[in-house]
Parts: sequence; structure tokens; C-alpha cells
Amino acid sequence: MTVALVVAFGLGAVVIALTGGDPLAAFGEMLTGGFTGSGLRNTLSRMIPIVGMALAFSLAFRSGVLNLGGEGQMLMGALFGTMTAIVLPGPGPVVIVAALLVGAAVGALWALLPALGQTKFQVPLLITSLLLNYVARATTSYLVRYPFGEPGAAFASTVAVPESNRIPDFPFLGGGISISLFFVFGLVALLAVVYRRSVFGYETAMLGFSGPFARYGGVDVERKTLLVMASAGAIGGLVGSHLVLGETYRYIDADMIAQTGFAWTGLMVSLLAANRPVAILLAGFFFAGLQIGGFAMERATKVSWQLAEMIQALVIVAVVSRLGLTWRRRRKLGEEVGPPQPEMETAHVGEV
Amino acid sequence: MTTELELRGITKRFPGVLACDGIDLTARRGEIHCIVGENGAGKTTLMSILYGLIPPDEGEILVRGEPVRFHSPLDAIRRGLGMVHQAFKLFPSLTVAENVIFREEPAKLGWIDRKRAVARVQELADAYGLAVDPTAVVEDLPVGVLQRVEILKALYRHASILILDEPTAVLTPQERDRLFDVMRRLRDSGRTILFITHKLAEVMSVADRITVLRNGKAVAELDPATTTPEEISRHMTGRDVEPVRAGAPTALGDVVLSVRSLTVRGAHSLPVVSDVSFDVRAGEVVGIAAVAGNGQTELIEAIAGLREIESGTVTLAGVDITHLDVAGRRRAGMSYIPEDRHRVGTAAAASVSENLLMGYQRTDRMRRGAWLRRRAVADHAGRLKDEFAIKVSGVDVAAGTLSGGNLQKVALAREMAHDAPLIIAEQPTRGVDIGAIEFIHTRLVAARDRGAAILLVSAELSEIQSLATRILVMFEGRIVAELDPDRVDEAEIGLHMTGGKVAGA
Repeated sequence: MTVALVVAFGLGAVVIALTGGDPLAAFGEMLTGGFTGSGLRNTLSRMIPIVGMALAFSLAFRSGVLNLGGEGQMLMGALFGTMTAIVLPGPGPVVIVAALLVGAAVGALWALLPALGQTKFQVPLLITSLLLNYVARATTSYLVRYPFGEPGAAFASTVAVPESNRIPDFPFLGGGISISLFFVFGLVALLAVVYRRSVFGYETAMLGFSGPFARYGGVDVERKTLLVMASAGAIGGLVGSHLVLGETYRYIDADMIAQTGFAWTGLMVSLLAANRPVAILLAGFFFAGLQIGGFAMERATKVSWQLAEMIQALVIVAVVSRLGLTWRRRRKLGEEVGPPQPEMETAHVGEV
Repeated sequence: MTTELELRGITKRFPGVLACDGIDLTARRGEIHCIVGENGAGKTTLMSILYGLIPPDEGEILVRGEPVRFHSPLDAIRRGLGMVHQAFKLFPSLTVAENVIFREEPAKLGWIDRKRAVARVQELADAYGLAVDPTAVVEDLPVGVLQRVEILKALYRHASILILDEPTAVLTPQERDRLFDVMRRLRDSGRTILFITHKLAEVMSVADRITVLRNGKAVAELDPATTTPEEISRHMTGRDVEPVRAGAPTALGDVVLSVRSLTVRGAHSLPVVSDVSFDVRAGEVVGIAAVAGNGQTELIEAIAGLREIESGTVTLAGVDITHLDVAGRRRAGMSYIPEDRHRVGTAAAASVSENLLMGYQRTDRMRRGAWLRRRAVADHAGRLKDEFAIKVSGVDVAAGTLSGGNLQKVALAREMAHDAPLIIAEQPTRGVDIGAIEFIHTRLVAARDRGAAILLVSAELSEIQSLATRILVMFEGRIVAELDPDRVDEAEIGLHMTGGKVAGA
């Protein structure tokens, strides 16, 4: 991890120097901009979608299910959650809960489409979940322009969510941080315990380690696939609903399309944290800070914000290549006690 | 005779283990040199060093008198080494011919000449009597055929030194004899064959020279003309080993497993198991003998709930389990030691403890509601580790670091721990050393004596003969013979296995 950071920031420094900037000044701005004062508040806010999407990704990925449909699940959940908050009458807290439930349900249903495709028709989930993102983008764009759109608005968006139906901010911490953050912490704790201590956590982990082994041991692989996908989609839908109900208060098409980046940042965070919830929280904090700090750096030093994104990606590359090294080292150790482990090197052939 | 290959003082240390301890080995041109030893004796490490997979700490390798250093298997292949691995290294989605020609493709104007490739592979297959369809896709082929593809791959590369790592495990006696003919022919053409095996009978019949490894040392070099299997075994284990005798079965109990008119369809919806019926009673071991690819794998998968049943019924302890899922069948009293212990029987990345828990995670002993009882899980793992003498420093170690025999003990321990009425044991001792075989056989016999019904599938006819009360022979998806192990010899079983005695002919 340390090595990864040094490598990533080192390469970033080279790029800054090449473009005529001062790396130390730029990184200084990044650090203070991302992790102090109002920057820290923004970082904490940004953690909500990043950590949320990372948890959604990890939930499926550790079960051996590669869900690349996070952005679609997020968009669909967000739009339907928003519409519920707009049209449903009743006291604020009730409407908010109902809207979140609808957002989660729609996200879950959207995630179930590729899952059912895989379990019922053997269509690879990896591909369908990814492609459904485009369907989700087009669908939400259409809906927000026509049936759900605000008539006569300059850009495609819904009307604003009534004030009573918005997710409130913490009354302390200087304001500007949604109480959703509290629920993100709760979800981290919940998943950390579920992954390690529950029958569900055990069975899905085994499924992730070896599908044939889990199936042989009596784990209902199909049901588990559907369940983790629905849960991942539900979290995605919640994150999307939060982005409107707790941040922008209206579903703005262009804005939300831009927010889909959180699904991919979340994926990176989950990879970096090896799907472990507490590590996801820390890595999510770090990445959120990098992004916010990147904005500050751009304002102060004219070094482009994209550099922050580049560093994020370099951290992942460095971490992943170091994983590769330890993997190889471990393989050699494995040979001390017996034959080379076939699952690492050998094409698996034969019946499933 | 000229020396083809010489290993001098090969030493390899791993943390805490001296895997190879100054091993000297000389193989001459035109000889079949058997390397025997228990798992952990250093055979695999030695062969990995020889094949360029891992570098030695000390010692040197000479090929045809010339010192060589292999940085990868490619270097070894360039020097004329060929290896047939125990674990297959094939591309599942490619054809047999494509796998064989990989990296040495016959080309025409820069394009692969498929016709020539197929013809060349067919030619090789015919020449050595290895029945393989070069155009078949590898993932559709049963394990036994894959082995032949591996052998073809090495032959295709004109290896002058051929390392065969337990190549006979999946062959019938007849096929094995044919392979031995191939090996002799290769030897007579001046090639050197390093033949790794556990089976002393094979050593005696095919070896020109025998090197015995124990605890990383070459403890003996023997001449098959002047040694005995007992002597080899003594060198391997450092003690006398008595083969497990099943002994007379106690009185048979009720029918535990009853299979009636079972039909299973495989790839291309062809029936791979046709109208199979048999019973297994409490206190007996029913052995299924068949050449790989004759439906025994599919039969077991269908009984275990891993493969769809086309028609027929399976009854376990009076419960119709035909339409139950795996968990339901396990609850009804099934335990199953699967053939593929690396992928199905265990999960390499999971800990030993997690591997031992599989199948019990939903029992009241192991969980309270949705949560696992961590204490019970740890106790369960610790108890099985001790009881089955699984050699591992702790139960939190990843199962992937265990040797073949130890890994099999993990699967065995898990499946035998709950005293299920039915135990399905599929190739339970394949690729494990003599000590572990003895242990596994003792356990199976003990389970039988306490009244378990055991369905044993094995490519090892001696295993079936010594353990089974009855032998069912499968050929092309049907049961073609029921034999009494005390009244038939290997040759006769083998004849049934190859369809030589269908319908009382």
C-alpha cells in the first residue's frame, strides 16, 4: 500500500513537473484542500456515494459475481426514488423512507435482470450488467425529459423535491454533510459482521472462492447469485436516491450521468480494499479526499483536476501489480509441501 | 550407454522445509527411469526444478554432458525435455489438435494449416495407440482422454527426455499396457523416460532403473531385476507397509442407496448414463469400475445432485431424492468425496477450517439463526485436523498450501465426520502417497464396518478389488457386468471395462 502510494504520487509528480508545474505545491494544495476545513466536509460528503457503491460492488464481487451494472442500478433507483419523494403525499420522514425503499427496490429489480439472465439462460452477467448501463442511461434520460420532466425547464430535470421530503444534513460538523453518512457507517459495520460471521457471508465467500466447491457443498448457487445482485442493486438505488434527496434535490439528467462515475470509483475502492468493508471505508475516504483535493489543487495551482483521477488509477495499478508479486511468491511457497497448485496455473477443464 | 541427463547435488530449501537434499540422479539414453517416493518426498519439487519451473538453491543439471540452467519451462523444452503433468494444462475451449500444436503450429503462408495439424496429430495418436479425436473440443472430453492429449503434446514436440508424472492414474490395465508399449518404443528409439509413479507393480513391469526418494533424499537406486516391491516400499516409507485388507464384511443391512432406471443426458443431449439400476446396502462397498468417460462421473454427479436426471429414481435411506437439491440430499444422509479435490472437493483460497465447515454450516451445531457459532466451527476444525492427522500448522491456513494427500484428508475428514449412511468415494486415493492411501482405506473400511453403505468409484482396480464387496462394471453408460472381486482378476475386469464381454458374449 505504501509502495503503491509512493509510486502513484511519484509518477504524478513527474507528470506535473513535465507540464511545468511544481509537484510539491500541487500536492500540498491537494492535501490541505481534501483533508482540512471545508474540504474535509466535502470529502466526507463524497464518501457517501463512493463507499456506498464500493460496498455494492464488493457484495457481489466477493461472491464471484462481477456486477458492472452499478451505474445503471444507481440511475434507475435514483429516478424512481426521486419521483416517489415528489409525488407521494404524507409527512416528510415517511415519504423519505418510502422513497428510499422504492429507490432500493428499483435498483434491486434492475440488478436482477442480468442475474436472472445468467441463472436462467446462461447469459454472462458480466456483459449484460455492463450493457444494461446504457439502457438505464437512455431510459432515465427519456423519462426525465418527457413523462417526469419539469415542463419548460432549460435542462432536462424533474421538479425539485419538496423541502420536507429531503434527507437532512447533520446539524453539527458545520453543516453540508448529509445524515446518509451515518447510514453508510452503519452499512460498513453491518457488512463487516455479515461477511465474517454469518452463514450467508460464509456461503457467499465460498462461492467466490470456488463455484463448484460451493455447489457441491449444498450452497444454492443460483439463489445466492440473485440475492447478492439484488442486494448490490438495492444499495446502488439507495446511493442514487441519496444523491438527489440529500444533495441536488432534483433529478438533473446531465448531473446524474456525471455522477455515474461514483460507480466506477466505488469499483476501484473495492478492489483496493480487497472487498473488506472497513478497508473500503478507509480507501473510500482516501479516494474522496483525492478527488476533492484535486479540485482545490486545480483552483490554486492550475494543475488539472484530472491529475487526481490519474493518481487514483495509478494507486490501483500499483496495488494490483504488487498483489501479483505476492501472489507469485506465495505460489512458490505452496510448492514446498506438495505438487504445484493446479488452480493457479492450470486451465480448468472437465465437467462442471 | 551414454548419459542423457545428470542431476548433481540438487538442493532446494523452502522456509522450514528441505524439499530436496543433495539429490544425485543419472538417467541414460534409452532407459525408463522410475522415480518413486511418497508425497512430500521431493519428487514434484525435483521435477519442477528439472523442468525449469523453480530454480535450485544448489546443484547442477547436465543435459547430454552440458551444464544447463533453465529459467523457465521454455528453456527446458528447447533442450529436449517434455513433461506430462499430473494436472492438465490445456485450453478448454480449443480442440485437441489446437492444444497439441500450440507454439509449434504448422503454418501455410502465415496461417495455421489446420488440415496438416489434424493429420499430424491423428498420425501420432494412431502411432501410439492413443484414441483421441483431434477435432474434439477439450472441455467436452473426460479426464481420461485429456491425459492422452497431454501425452500427445509432449510427443509432438519430439522430446528426447520425457517426464511422465503419474500418467497411468486414469487408464485401464489394457490402456496402461499400451502406454507401456509406447514408452518402451520411445526408449528403444533412444529417448529417456522419467516415470513418476506410486504403483510398485508398474515400476516392476516397466522400469529399467529405479530411484527412490524419501524426505528429499535419493535413498536408493535399484535394479528391477534384483529388487522386490517390498524392498522398494521399505525404502519409500522407511518401514514395512501392509496393504489394507478389507476383511470379510459383517452382515449386510438394509438397502441404503437404490438407483432405478437412471438415465442422464450429457453434451449434445446424448445419453451418458442409460437405464442404470443398482442397490448399495448398509455394510457393503460397491465398486464401480470403468474406463474414464464411460458415464461413471455423470452417474455419480446425478446421484450427488450436481447433474440433471433425465429419468429414473434415486432413493436414499427410504427417501426419494431424485428431485432434491444438494443440500436436501446431504440432509437425507449423503456424503461425497469427489474426484476433483482441487476444484470441487476443496476451495484453495479458503482456510482449512472453512473447507471443513462446508456442508455443516446450516446445522444447529454450527449456527445460531443466521450466525455461525465461531467456537463450534473452530472446535470442529481442530478435532478433524487431529483425528485425520491433517498436517498443517493451523486450521486458518489456506487449503491451497496443502499437499495432495493432506488436501484429500481435508475432504475425507469433512465427509466422514457426520457418520452419513451413504458415502460416495470417487477416486479417493488418486495421486496420494502410500501412507495416505493406507489411511484412507482404513477409514473407509471402518465406515463400512459401522454400517455405512459405500459407493466407490476408482480407476485403481487393485483398490476396487481389495475394498469392494461387489464390482459393477460400466461401459458406454450402462452397467455391463456385476463381478465378485474374489473370483475375477484384473485382466477380466479390464476386458469388461472395454466392452469385451457385453451381454454375456
